Amino acid sequence: MIRTALFQSARCASRSVTRTQLPASRAIAPCFSVPSTRYTPTLRYPGIRCYSAPAGLSKTEVEGRIMDILKNFDKVKDASKLSNTSHFSNDLGLDSLDTVEVVMAIEEEFSIEIPDKEADGILSIDKAVNYIIGQPDAH
Amino acid sequence: MALEAYRHVLRSARIAFQGDTRLLSAAKVEARLNFNNNRSLPADSDEAQQKIIEAQEVARILRQNVVQGERVTGAGKEEQRYQLRIHDETERGDNESIKKGTNLASAGGACCGGAT
Repeated sequence: MIRTALFQSARCASRSVTRTQLPASRAIAPCFSVPSTRYTPTLRYPGIRCYSAPAGLSKTEVEGRIMDILKNFDKVKDASKLSNTSHFSNDLGLDSLDTVEVVMAIEEEFSIEIPDKEADGILSIDKAVNYIIGQPDAH
Repeated sequence: MALEAYRHVLRSARIAFQGDTRLLSAAKVEARLNFNNNRSLPADSDEAQQKIIEAQEVARILRQNVVQGERVTGAGKEEQRYQLRIHDETERGDNESIKKGTNLASAGGACCGGAT
């Protein structure tokens, strides 16, 4: 007698375990036919998180943000020369130390760290844009 | 070479004076001033190399041996506590010297002279 009672309660328990897991599968397959009112709300699975592929930055957005950095950089004397292909020293009249500062500001803007070798090669706006686009971590 | 050093100094300053805008901008101005002063040195001269090494040292000290402290607000007048921001790159000694030091005077000196 007690054995059957135990058996039944165990079966009941195992069923309740599977039940609590059911809502998760419901979220995946919304057409699942079990009515949701049978479950207490606290046990409800909050939903499936969707980790999509990184959207990345669009070229125009990157360009815009880099241009903004340079617009606000007080050593750029002639803002009218600012274009997508401006060279930091030839077009904008920045010296080499200014260039380092600009690259650092770009790093800060996109929250990345550019290694020394690459940073030395960034001498114009289009190069900076291309580098940032190539960085999956930039955001 | 010099640009690399300049970059390192700026980066270290950013770490050392994080969130402290006044000090951070002052550090930037100071770095700029010092690099500008030695702008005329020929790149391959010993003096220039010396200055670059000096700058790298400054960067290292800023990074490893400067710790920000902020006074804990709400502490009583008697108790003025500071919260230190010790980050990953702060140099931490292993306190090796404290184990062998029995001379009180020298132990005290090591304590107060220690950079961290």
